[in-house]
Order: sequence, then C-alpha cells, then structure tokens
Amino acid sequence: MEAKSEITGRVLEVVASPGQQLAEDDPIVVLESMKMEIAVTAPRAGTLREIKVGVDDLVEEDQVVALMDPA
Amino acid sequence: MTADARPRPPSPTVTAEEFETRRAQVHAMGGPAKLAARREAGILNARERIDRLCDPGSWIEIGEFAWSAREEDRGRTPAEGIVTGFGKVEGRDVAVASFDLTVLGASSSATNIRKLDFLKKRASAAGIPCAFLIESAGARMPDIQGATGMGRIGLLSSMSRDRDTPWVSAVLGPCYGMGTWYAVMSDFAVMRKDATFSVSSPKVTSVAMSQEVTPEELGGSDLHAETTGQVDLVTDTDEEAIDALRRFLAYLPSNASEAPPMGTPAPGGDPEEVEALIPPERHRIYDGRKLVGLLADEGSVMPFRPRFGRTLETALARIDGRTVGLVASNPMRKGGAIDGPSCRKMTEFTVLCDSFNVPIILLADTPGFLVGLQAEREGVAGEIMNNIRALTLATVPKLAVVVRKSYGQAYLNLGGGIADALAVMTTGEVGFVDPAVAVSVVHNRRRGDGEDYETLMQDMVVSNSPWELAGMFAAHAVIRPGETRAWLSRMLEVMRRRPTGEVGAHRLSTWPTSL
Repeated sequence: MEAKSEITGRVLEVVASPGQQLAEDDPIVVLESMKMEIAVTAPRAGTLREIKVGVDDLVEEDQVVALMDPA
Repeated sequence: MTADARPRPPSPTVTAEEFETRRAQVHAMGGPAKLAARREAGILNARERIDRLCDPGSWIEIGEFAWSAREEDRGRTPAEGIVTGFGKVEGRDVAVASFDLTVLGASSSATNIRKLDFLKKRASAAGIPCAFLIESAGARMPDIQGATGMGRIGLLSSMSRDRDTPWVSAVLGPCYGMGTWYAVMSDFAVMRKDATFSVSSPKVTSVAMSQEVTPEELGGSDLHAETTGQVDLVTDTDEEAIDALRRFLAYLPSNASEAPPMGTPAPGGDPEEVEALIPPERHRIYDGRKLVGLLADEGSVMPFRPRFGRTLETALARIDGRTVGLVASNPMRKGGAIDGPSCRKMTEFTVLCDSFNVPIILLADTPGFLVGLQAEREGVAGEIMNNIRALTLATVPKLAVVVRKSYGQAYLNLGGGIADALAVMTTGEVGFVDPAVAVSVVHNRRRGDGEDYETLMQDMVVSNSPWELAGMFAAHAVIRPGETRAWLSRMLEVMRRRPTGEVGAHRLSTWPTSL
C-alpha cells in the first residue's frame, strides 16, 4: 500500500517512523504547500514499512512518500 | 348479505388456482439454482431488495404479469426482468424498480422499458421519488437489434427527467447500458463495493476497441468513488446500500414543490470543542469533517461523495431538525485548496439542494483555488464559473461562514457577496491571497528580506481581519467559533422562504446530473 502526496510541496517534518501502526488518515510526513502545512496521511489502517523522503525534499503531486502494509 | 349456498359456475377465464400458479411462477424469478447461488454469495435477489427498501406491508406491484414482447420468451421472462411498483419509505410513497439479473440478465427490452416509463411518469404525476435497484447485462438481443429494434427504443421512452422528484439508485451487480444511465442520472447513487457499472461491457470493449479490460477497470467502485465521481457512496453489502437510499430520501421532500420534512431535533457538538478544533495559526490544518460533525445535530451527517473532491466536504445533515446541505473546506486535504473535482462536486451538490429546497451552508477555510498546469489544462476556469453561477442562481437560503482564511475567488465561490447572510469567525481572514504572498507580490520581499518585513507582513494581516469585512458590511456578523451552530440555526429559521412555502424557483433543476 502506497501513501501518495495529494499536492506538490516541500517536506517540513517527518512525523511517523517505520514499524509504527497507523490508523486511516494518520499523518506520516508534513509538507509545506500553498503556505499551509499539509500532511501526507495513511490511506488505510496499517503498519508503516518505509518512508521514502526526508526533510527539505521536494515532493510532486501523486509521488509515493511512504510504503505501508495494510492491517 | 348471507353466503350463497348454491354451487357457483367456474370462472369463465381464470381460476384461483391458475392465478396462484402464475403468481408463483413470476415470483420464482430466474429459478431456484440462480437464486440459491445469490444466497450463497450473500447477495439479495430483486424481491428481497424491495423488501429491504420498503416499509413492511406497503408494497404494491405494477406489471407483475408483464412478459417479453417476443412470444417465444414469454415463459422465461417473469415480470420481464424488472420488478416495478410502489412502496413506502418511512411512511412516504416511492416508485421502485428492481432489476432482476436472474431473468435474462435484467436486459432492457420493449416491455420492461415501458414498465420503467410508466413508473417514471406516474411518479412525476404523484410527486413521489423514484428508486432504482440496478444490475443489468445491458440491451437484450435479439429484441433490440436492427432498425426495427433500435427504432422501437426511440419511440418507447425518453431518457430525460425534470428533477421534479428525487431519484436514487443503488448499483448492486454488473451493470451496462440502460442500468448505467439510471445510475448517473440519479440525485444520489450508491454502489456495493464489488459491483461495476460502465457504458459497455468488457466484451463489447474488446470487440469495438481491441482493449482487453476487466469490469473493475471499466467501472469498479474505486474508479467511480475516486476518479469519475459518478457514485456518491460505496458500501460493503446490498443491505447497507439500500439502507443508504432510505436514509438519503429521509432528508428530502417527496417532490420539488414541498419543503423537506422536519426531523427530530438533536443537540449539536460542544461549542468548546469547536473553539478547540480550529487552530488560530493559518498554516495549521485540521479535519474539516469534524467541524461539520460538531455543527450539525448529533448523528445527522450523511456525507455526499466523500472520496471524490475531498478538499470540499459535502454532506446532508440537520440543524435543529431542519435539513441542510453543508459545503465545508477540509484543510486536511491539499490545505483546503479547491481543485477541479471539488469544484464540480460542489456544483452538483448545489444543484441537488436547489432542486429540492434544501438550504445551503458554506464553511470556508481555503487558501484559494488550486491552480497550475494540470488544473488549467482540465479547464478549471470554466468549472469555477459554473460553480459560482450555480450558487448565485440557487434560490434556497444560503448561509456562509468564513471559518479561517478565505482568499481570492474562492471567497466569492464560497458565498462572499452571494449568501443571504455571511458571518466571519473571529479566527477568519479574507483577502486576495495569503499575507506572505501579498507581501512578496506587492513589496517584492520575502521572510528575512529587510528589517521592515515583519511590519509589512503585519499590515497585510490586519487588512485581512474580520473587522475590515464587517466594517464595510460585506460580513453581516462576527462570531466566535463556538457560536456558529447557534447563529446558523437562528438564521435558518429567519431566512425560510415563507411566501412560497419554503419552495424555491429551482432554476438549476435542468442542469446536468453529471458535471
């Protein structure tokens, strides 16, 4: 399962870590875009496997930001 | 009168026995094997679905003994594949068509198209909603073949509607052709998650387009819920889908000439929770759905198309028992920036509310319309103007609240200058763009760029304040976030369209059902 960014932006903060259990809509990383802090969230409940971006990385719309194993 | 003791002569035409036999044949549908397979799969049959939709004892069937226009098919077309009639939902009459896939795939034919036409016309005359419980293999061959078959279809019925009464659909299996038309023409369409609907089947697509695709690729529930926006809700089971139709109808009047029925008032959320939910910092996000939940009567929110255009949440709900249509920014999605899908969804929702006299409530917390290459290529300019025209033309009461930021054109599309009344929360700010962007454009400065940056920034923030909007009387009230529900409830009461019995002009009722 892939967590994708809905919007183009810059990574401000990584707020979850691999191995963590997440509920649907829990934040994984926070981006800055449109002068807002916008979270990339878990699409469904599951375990976070890998985060593919770091702070200050530029992220495109629809880019895969993290991989998850569905619950 | 006393009973006549003399033996009666037999009926010249139909005996009671024959009547019961015929009825049993019709109710056996496509036969025990097909019905057993459905039961095994946990899928209701066409008649069980009607029982689920209608209040017990309220069903009266129309066309029970209709059969195929082709004489050789009479014996294998019970009810001609589409069961039609009238039943009650929460005590109010509804016209119902339930497609029976076990009878020649509920394929469309001369007789069942006439059954549907009858149902639609009588529903319009009686001012009652139509409910379609759909699965269909599409057009029936050889009935609809050649010039005679196709010519006959053109003479039989029209695939149009006046939106004079609500239409709801549940897609509960594979669905092509006519079944698909009813789904997309409805005011509310729900589908079971493993159902599919598309114009053509994979078989036709394979022959016509040399494309090998699955039914899910052509019209699965994920596709319709997230990409096409042609389905408003997805459920796990038949029962949940049909229950959703019942629930949706409960918010609406039976027809466009009536006001929506009052529900039982229930308390809303705690005002302090509303205060706590909205972060004063403009760059912080929160879940706009929570705000909707707190402002509405507890348990009354029914999301409309929740997986599509998610930067705007649309939902039917009640406030002190009164039906309302809520359109709320959701900053959790793209910061609340309104993209094309959100814009189209709001326009369709506005048409729905205007058609059936449902007051509209707009909650704005948006940095603006999402612009850029993709949006422009998809024609977002036209969508934005469709959207604001719809809101302007709607004659139902319209109430707007600026929750936090509401910048640029988006301020107008979410009710600025259009709503009957607009309140700005103490957390609200309205301007052309975000203050930082404004400083950058107007003064060509960025953060840390010169000593007076903070002063310039502060001036921009002040110029966006609620006092400016209220002072020039573009906002009609300044409210604390916790006062929002009380303000909305009171204004809904005040703004009722008393001269016309709370019935609007429905200037949008002829707008497309899919935008």
